[in-house]
Amino acid sequence: MATFLSVHGYDPGATQRPLLSGAISGVLATAPAVAVLIWFGSLSVETNILGLPTWATLVLGWAIMAAAGALYAGVFGRAANNPHGGWLFGMAFGFALWAAGAVLVLPIVSGGKAPAGLAALGVALSMLAWGLAIGILLPFVHRPLHENLEKASRAAQYGPSAAAGKERPVREQRQENRG
Amino acid sequence: MIRVVSLKKAVAAGLAGAAVMELSSFAASVAGLPTVDFVAQLSSVAFDHSPILTNAAALGVHLAVGVCWAVFYAFFFWGRINARPPFQGLLFSLLPAALAIFIVYPELALIRHHSAVVTLDVRSFLAPLTLPNSAGLLVEHALFGLTIGAIYRRPVGYAADKKPAPPAARRRSETRCKRDPASTAFIFATGIECSYPTIEHGRWRRDEMESTDHYALWQRDFELAREIGITHIRYGPPLHLIFEGPGAYDWAYSDPQMEELRDAGPEPIVDLCHFGVPSWLGNLQNPEIGKALAEYAAAFAERYPWVRFYTPVNEMYVCARMSALDGIWNEQLHDEGAYARAAWNLADASIRMSDAILQRRPDAIFVNSESSEFYQPCCPDPHVQRAAEEANDRRFLPLDLIYAHPLSKRMGDVLGSQGIAADDIERLGRREVPRRSILGVDYYEWNERLIDREGKPLALGELFGWYVIADQYWQRYRRPMMHTETNKMDAAGAPRWLWRQWHNVQLLRKAGVPLVGFTWYSLTDQIDWSIAMSQPLGIVYPVGLFDLNREARTVGLSYMHLIDLYRDEPDYSECKALKEIMG
Repeated sequence: MATFLSVHGYDPGATQRPLLSGAISGVLATAPAVAVLIWFGSLSVETNILGLPTWATLVLGWAIMAAAGALYAGVFGRAANNPHGGWLFGMAFGFALWAAGAVLVLPIVSGGKAPAGLAALGVALSMLAWGLAIGILLPFVHRPLHENLEKASRAAQYGPSAAAGKERPVREQRQENRG
Repeated sequence: MIRVVSLKKAVAAGLAGAAVMELSSFAASVAGLPTVDFVAQLSSVAFDHSPILTNAAALGVHLAVGVCWAVFYAFFFWGRINARPPFQGLLFSLLPAALAIFIVYPELALIRHHSAVVTLDVRSFLAPLTLPNSAGLLVEHALFGLTIGAIYRRPVGYAADKKPAPPAARRRSETRCKRDPASTAFIFATGIECSYPTIEHGRWRRDEMESTDHYALWQRDFELAREIGITHIRYGPPLHLIFEGPGAYDWAYSDPQMEELRDAGPEPIVDLCHFGVPSWLGNLQNPEIGKALAEYAAAFAERYPWVRFYTPVNEMYVCARMSALDGIWNEQLHDEGAYARAAWNLADASIRMSDAILQRRPDAIFVNSESSEFYQPCCPDPHVQRAAEEANDRRFLPLDLIYAHPLSKRMGDVLGSQGIAADDIERLGRREVPRRSILGVDYYEWNERLIDREGKPLALGELFGWYVIADQYWQRYRRPMMHTETNKMDAAGAPRWLWRQWHNVQLLRKAGVPLVGFTWYSLTDQIDWSIAMSQPLGIVYPVGLFDLNREARTVGLSYMHLIDLYRDEPDYSECKALKEIMG
């Protein structure tokens, strides 16, 4: 997948602000995820495991998901902007976060404690809901945050000096070697 | 967008795959074999009050998971390895199988716990796994993979006897741009990639406008072109969909777009035939295509009398070579004589179409776009030298025919061997070429080729460069010229390529060649051009000024920068060569 994405450039689009739009989308997508956690009683279980008050668990969760959103937008680049496939990439990322975070990291930071029963199901579904939501939201959130085309095109890197490329084809002769 | 995916096919594949998995699990349990029934597992987790509802809900969840995996397969795995589709699916199934074995199955066991919190480590997490149920999971996923692989194929294009939905209706445009049909400014162009050859011996139609979503997003595409300062757009309404038969036209495939271009621009350079013909005309070996396409050109010019720039047949050499010599498109032959016949038929079509248009629009301007190729022998070996000479003769054949240039003896003989009368060839040689003809010279990094010791062409990259190759065409035909296509597959390196091509253009102009325009082709990314559209894989070819989400690529910004820098310069705000042609 990584090599496939790299063919298209990892850049998320020359006029885009992936970290900002990813973080905003990550925060927005946390709302349905929290709803799922509450529905399944998973929020109180997580609060108990972490030993934090509910509000602190929510704030921590929102902050982590904002960072996760920025990471998602940065890593998936242009793919994350795809209105046809965004939902799937988001869910794949949500699944990966669940597998890595809820199943592996949470037990480690909590001394081996992990949600079980319906609470565990709630955690899994909340991460899939978050992934689905961010995947759907991001293509629409990032558009109003675009840099203006005209302004972006004036950057020196896109101007005539681009002809020499980032990796200069010929190394400049050193001053002292010139005749 | 990184891949064009047929969601309908992927959903069908996913549903079928999950159903096959469930059936196999049922069959295994009846036979007493080890198996893991995911529906039973899921239904026992959360919904254990009403068996029918719980089983239905669990089945729904399992089908949805199957669909997700199938879409994932379609985006990231399909067509990546050269194997039959079911085996691609089989290989892919290792991924969901691994996740099912090491994550999902143990987690389901955890979810069935009656307490809300458990203390566990890796060993206790994986404890529910046994060798038999792991093997069962592996087999079930293998069947899932084989099923999705068998079902999901050909995500782009359509059966040659079918038609896609017509373009979206025209929305009220908020643009203030107006087309300026009298402009004599230097042409800064792009194009909408519109190739429509058939593959699989005429059974499957490639249609780049459909694959790149242009039929749905055409108005946005024109807006983007205007936004970055494009003055002209190479645009090819889909001949194979419009021209339904003699005297029968379905203009729904071109009316909305042409109205928008007429009102707001950019000025279209209308490409009437782009690598394919309607299925009812067969293929390029049909000697009747010239007459038929002339009828189409006449009808087109009557329907859109305001259009002035035409490319009657795009890249005749490439079209004939790929169809009749390389065996990739249309007739899919590998024969020198068939190549000559295809080139003759296309040149004949181009000439007849130009004549038909001139009868209705006497001041029409023809941009005869052709791929500029060059073959360099690798060594003094006479066989290699001759192979290079033959390849160089071949590349000039279609242009020689339409520009009344004497043919090489060898190509004349090959045409003769195809039953084309010497009188007919001579008639073209005496023809008066329309005054307003511009030779469009396309250039890509594979256009310069080395003939190796085995006589095979190898792409050289930019050895001599566009300046040298285009100059060969200038010396041969002495026609006003335009750089009508270039792009670069490497998205990050594209701005560099753009500016270097531009310097070639400037140098050729300074050398006195009447050069009227420059083109980055195309506006958006293309599909499957990395494999010359030989298979319907849906691979995005990232060469556009914008990607398929219509997000700017760096080369789009560079082109905007370039246009902004030059368009008001005296030499460009009024281009003498174009003014002369327009007059």
